[in-house]
Amino acid sequence: MKFFPFVWRNLLRNKLRSLLTGAAIALAIALVCILRTMPVGFDNFLNQLATNTRISIHNTAGIVYSMPYAYLARVKAVPGVVSAVSWTWFGGMVDKDKGVTFPNFAVDADTIGDVFADMKISPETLAHFRSHRDGVLVGRMTMKKYGWKPGDQITLVSNVWPLELSFTVSGEIPADQDPRLWLQREYFIQAMREKGVEFDQAGMIWARVDDPNRVPGVMSEVDTMFRNSDAETATETEKSFFQNFFGSLQGFVTIILIVTGLVTLCIVFIAANTASMAVRERLRELAVLKAIGFRWQLLFGTLVGEAALLSTAAGVAGALVSLGLTRLLGAAAGWNPQLGPLSGFVVTNAILVQALFLAFFIGILSGVVPSFGAARRSVASTLRDVF
Amino acid sequence: MALPLSYPLRNLVHRRLRTALTVAVIALVVIATTLFLALVSSLRRTLVSTGDPRNLIVMRQGSDNDGSSQIPLDAYQAVRFFDGIAKDAQGEPLVSPELVVQPFFYRPDGGRENVLVRGVEEQALAVHREVKIVEGRMLVPSQGEAVIGRGVAMRYAGASLGSALKFGRRTWKVVGVLEAGGSSFESEVWVDARDLAADAKRPVPYSGIRLTVADGADRDALIRRIDEDSRWALEAKPETAYYAKQAESANGLYTLVVGLAVLAGVGAVFGATNTMYAAVQARIAEIGTLRALGFSRGAVLGAFLVESVGLAAVGLVVGVSIAWPLGLAVSNALGGIGFGAVTFSTNVITLRVGPFDVAIAALLAGLIGFAGGLAPAWRAAQLRPVEALRKG
Repeated sequence: MKFFPFVWRNLLRNKLRSLLTGAAIALAIALVCILRTMPVGFDNFLNQLATNTRISIHNTAGIVYSMPYAYLARVKAVPGVVSAVSWTWFGGMVDKDKGVTFPNFAVDADTIGDVFADMKISPETLAHFRSHRDGVLVGRMTMKKYGWKPGDQITLVSNVWPLELSFTVSGEIPADQDPRLWLQREYFIQAMREKGVEFDQAGMIWARVDDPNRVPGVMSEVDTMFRNSDAETATETEKSFFQNFFGSLQGFVTIILIVTGLVTLCIVFIAANTASMAVRERLRELAVLKAIGFRWQLLFGTLVGEAALLSTAAGVAGALVSLGLTRLLGAAAGWNPQLGPLSGFVVTNAILVQALFLAFFIGILSGVVPSFGAARRSVASTLRDVF
Repeated sequence: MALPLSYPLRNLVHRRLRTALTVAVIALVVIATTLFLALVSSLRRTLVSTGDPRNLIVMRQGSDNDGSSQIPLDAYQAVRFFDGIAKDAQGEPLVSPELVVQPFFYRPDGGRENVLVRGVEEQALAVHREVKIVEGRMLVPSQGEAVIGRGVAMRYAGASLGSALKFGRRTWKVVGVLEAGGSSFESEVWVDARDLAADAKRPVPYSGIRLTVADGADRDALIRRIDEDSRWALEAKPETAYYAKQAESANGLYTLVVGLAVLAGVGAVFGATNTMYAAVQARIAEIGTLRALGFSRGAVLGAFLVESVGLAAVGLVVGVSIAWPLGLAVSNALGGIGFGAVTFSTNVITLRVGPFDVAIAALLAGLIGFAGGLAPAWRAAQLRPVEALRKG
């Protein structure tokens, strides 16, 4: 620490160069942070949504294949199932031209709260939802986006069913990143009936099992029950369901990871370039310091320290920039049906810590090679070269 | 008098390590930018290149994709005989009623995706003229036969000519492979419409109609005729407009990618500036000599700018020549990049670095070189010969 002022002064000696290097590293670190939010957001999304007791039951042929609504009662009767709810894509749009801007489903009002107990929807909100046929539960993200409050009247036009329905907002699903909207199946069925269609299907079923250890047993029992029926089912855990649902994004995530790696490599080169310039300029003075008795290990340490200090300081700046930028991005982007959970753009603490360590190690790495050579060089040969 | 071009270019070779590191930085920025741009533009190209300007797509009003639309049989039978629709040699109207369903397909790693399966009838190939059967043959109706797109064959387990492919509720026989100029039809599977309706238990046989407008016929009049028919609430639009709308969904992604590229580019500008400042610093005596010999400020400025832009150009060439094969390699390794479109079905995209991506990357590299070189070159030009000579 005694030599900190020495290192600091050296950094400030060529202010323009330190500033340029620092800015380049800071921007690259900011970029790494922003890119990392996408795969990290993906994992967080899965972990946040997925409980280990909820299972999804859908037609084995595909998500767009339906199953008879009567399956719900049979699933509820399976030992170990606490509660189950049916789930039908409504495809409601606020604005016809913008299309579906958040996922919305018709669900059973009596059991939705039990199956999704972990969402911690307030009892008053649930009571309102149950007692108002036109009630809807709305994810916090969508509430914010449209500025809805409980009690507001909203209208959704379906792009799947020939319906245009008005709803009353019952309350929010309290999760920041949740874009979903749930409406009552009963309301939906009646509206369909008025159009002369008796809808007796369900898109899929979610069930909650009392004990995580019983999940595999329940899953195979459900699938066995519907084998050789018109609609054979495939049951899977919630996590595997979402992993599969967003499976097609894997390629995109791979590209993001590759680009992140490239940018990191880029920082190493920028930092190494600067470190080598700084060392080259100071060969004479290093020789003088050694000639008056400073040991090479110490000089090496101060040179590497200089590079690490610059890089880490830039890392802090970059992390701050990424925080600001992602806030802007998040506000502008919202829920994007193409990117799904990738568009969260939330810089987590883990990402920040990783970025700072990355910056620190890059600083060390970039400083080591040029500094080592310079510090070990013999005094006589250096002085002969420069004088 | 200008300095000969060889002066700045040979300077690049002089300080090898520094040049190499700066070139590496610019090349990496170019690779990152090109890969990202290629991803988005490949997606766009796939969607935009789909559709024929002479074709109309007819769906239920309010449907934004044919997967969610439904059309009654009598609507199809009536629309078939509307005026202004092209006819084939036998006098049959070029109208293709289609049913779209998205069952699960499985990747070799076990993951599953929704793939667009299109149930078609005999006029399908006559209406979709860009679709060509390149291997095997077209399917025969009601035999449970399927023709798969090139992208599907590349990506999913068991999807190859002659294989028995399981999707939906049954097993299908793959009798052909189709190509369609890289458009999104290559991410589809075609089967007989009635086979598919039976398998998916769809009471309504069709989700939409594609038709070809006759040469010289009034397209807008035909669209109005369909839109205004009060019996079914249908909506017709040009096929190209339908796919262009889907391609718009990539716009947000595009803005994001360009924004990130600019961020990386600005970082690279700082890196390049640094290198050029150092180059000026190391050559102060030399610059003084040049000025003393009578080279103007402009000549010195130009020489340093050329050096900097040359640096960027080398970086660009290195970057692009790495990005190109890298893109293809990644794409092949992943079996195409899957992308879930608005329609819920997966588009299989081949990641291809196109001329446009390279052009944007070149622009970025040029800016990096120019902006990075400007300030240092300015400083070099401003040096007074006497002082410069003394300092050196």
